[in-house]
Amino acid sequence: MQDSTFNELADLALRISGQHIPSSKAYLMEARLSSISRRESFATLDDLVHCLKARPNQRFELEVAAALTGKLTRFFNEKDVIEQIVSHALPQRLKLSKSGRLRVWCAGVSTGQEAWSLAMRLKEQVGSPLAKAEIEIVGSDISSDCIETAERGIYGHFDVQKGLSIHRLMTNFTRHNTGEWEVNEELRKSVTFRRHNLLHPAHDLGAFDLVLCSNVLSGLAKSAQREVVDTITAQMLPEAFLFLSQKETGEGISDTIKPSRDMRGAFVKQSKPVKTAVA
Amino acid sequence: MKHCLIVDDSRVVRTVAGRIIKDLSFSVSEAAHGAEALEQCRKQMPDAILLDWNMPVMNGLDFLRALRREENGKDPVVVFCTNENDSEHISEAIRAGANEYIMKPFDAEIVESKFSEVGLV
Repeated sequence: MQDSTFNELADLALRISGQHIPSSKAYLMEARLSSISRRESFATLDDLVHCLKARPNQRFELEVAAALTGKLTRFFNEKDVIEQIVSHALPQRLKLSKSGRLRVWCAGVSTGQEAWSLAMRLKEQVGSPLAKAEIEIVGSDISSDCIETAERGIYGHFDVQKGLSIHRLMTNFTRHNTGEWEVNEELRKSVTFRRHNLLHPAHDLGAFDLVLCSNVLSGLAKSAQREVVDTITAQMLPEAFLFLSQKETGEGISDTIKPSRDMRGAFVKQSKPVKTAVA
Repeated sequence: MKHCLIVDDSRVVRTVAGRIIKDLSFSVSEAAHGAEALEQCRKQMPDAILLDWNMPVMNGLDFLRALRREENGKDPVVVFCTNENDSEHISEAIRAGANEYIMKPFDAEIVESKFSEVGLV
């Protein structure tokens, strides 16, 4: 891949999805775009970029940018965060809810495992107040391919063995003759998926009691991190919680959020953005 | 250091699984079938057993049922590791006392994930 090709693709990723791809990660581009390249019969990424420049096509650009996003995920990838959400954050939100309904947004959900994991854990809350609540989980991702996989809810032999106990697998999935495993109908009732770019407003998705956005911000450029956090906070109900992955910190990204005082690991909306004094 | 007994009639599987499990800080011993494994358990009960299903002399399911009847036989964490990947076999293994289940083929990440599920790592 020529340097100019890397630069074009890195610019495209930054412009469309806010991703920051350093030159040390050039090899990732080759890997992540190999399937599109094959399908479109490009011999090299140089040819792909040449085509993008010669015949600009917004849809294809979006597809390339989405393919460049990292898709590494697995069931219960953020086990401790999910535990905190189910044991503390959602019960707290439920106490404030008059309707008994709660809405959760898994932002940047990739192929869906995080949303399904949360749904499984919630289903296990027999006897807790959450069992009687109506909890809707919305998973969103920039990639149509990822959303398609998430909606199908069918995962391969290797996927279902990473992060899922055999008990959870047998309780929540049905095995196909192909050796793949499909999410059961009962779990599907509470989960929906939508394609959405976190750099764009998310009014269509509605307001949420809790947002889980794990392993998204760390791959973004600083300015995009702020935009994404602002998109998310715009959809958060008063006193709603935002959780990131345990490895990520939300501090200093945007003045629209602040660490929660009473919910470990969570962020809440700033009631008023902090204004910088002007001399 | 925890000890894991790997029971499989394939030497290749025992070797590959052994390397993965040693990397998880276990000491490892091997048996080629259930009867040999039961003999080893009677001498020293391991902390964990990675267990194949189809083996000559004594299969994995018969071994597991016999193990759970032994003194201290309920102690080891038993993780089936087999080509028998359908729901019926999995349910039967769990009823017989298996703690976890790995469907072959497997890789290091799967073994680590399953060992983590049952508190071994």
